[in-house]
Amino acid sequence: MSAKAESALPGVSRGIEGLDVDRLRHAIQEEYALVAKEPERGFHFHTGRRLAAILSYEDEWLAGVPETTIASFAGTGNPFSIGPLQPGENVVDVGCGAGIDSLIAAKMVGAAGRVIGVDMTPEMLAKARAAAQQAETANVEFKQGLAEPLPVKDSWADVVISNGVLNLFPDKLAALREIARVLKPGGRLQVGDILVDKAVSDKGKRDIELWKG
Amino acid sequence: MVAAGFVDFEITSRVDVYKDAPQSSSAAKFGTVGINFRARKARDDDEWARALALLSCTV
Repeated sequence: MSAKAESALPGVSRGIEGLDVDRLRHAIQEEYALVAKEPERGFHFHTGRRLAAILSYEDEWLAGVPETTIASFAGTGNPFSIGPLQPGENVVDVGCGAGIDSLIAAKMVGAAGRVIGVDMTPEMLAKARAAAQQAETANVEFKQGLAEPLPVKDSWADVVISNGVLNLFPDKLAALREIARVLKPGGRLQVGDILVDKAVSDKGKRDIELWKG
Repeated sequence: MVAAGFVDFEITSRVDVYKDAPQSSSAAKFGTVGINFRARKARDDDEWARALALLSCTV
C-alpha cells in the first residue's frame, strides 16, 4: 500500500514529527528498569498482584509464576480474557517485561507449544529469564529487541499477545505490520493496552513525560 | 489495524486501570482507560482487500 493510500485510511497512526524516538525509548527503558528493580516503589500505574486482580487474572494462571515476576507486572489489560491459547500453539509476547504473560502462555500451550517473549529492557529480561528457570519452564525463550523489527521469523506465530506496550510505540503502523509479519495467515492478535477518549495535541505527542504517564 | 493487515478488530473490554494508582498521572486528563482488543491477520490478500474496501465509503 502506498504512503498516500495509507494516509487516506481512517485512524492510521504513523511516526510523529518532532518526536525524539531515541530519547523516548531511553526514557521508557529507564522507567521499566525501575519497575524491574524496585516494583514496590509506587508508580503512576498499579503493579503486581493488585494489578493482576484489577485485570481479572485467574489464580490458576498465576500458580507457579515466581513472585518476583508477578511483582513487576505492569500491564494494562488481560490478553487471556479474550480467548484461551491452545496446546501446541506458537506465541509471541511483544514487550514481555518480567515475563508474567509469557509464563502463563507457556503453561497454556504446553510442551508442544513455544513462546517467545521480546522486550527492549535488559533488567526486565533478566527477571523473565530467571523466572523461567525457577519455574522450570522449558518452552519459553526471551529475546532482547524492539517491536520494529521483532526478532522472530515470518509466519511463525499462531498468536501474538501484548500488554500495555503498543501505546509506547511511536509508529503504530510499523509495529502492527511487524506483528502481522510474524503471524501465520489467520493468526490471532490478543492485546491489552490503553485508549484515550480525549485528543492529544501535537505538542503533547512530542512530550516524552506525557508518554511516560 | 486494517492497514497493517488485520481484520475482525474488536475492543472486548474497558477497565479504569489507573484509578488510585500510587502516583498521579495524566490518565484522567485524557480519559485514559485500559482496554483489551483482538484482531486476526487476514487469511489472504483477498480477505485483506475486502476489509480495506469496507473502510472507503461515499456519503
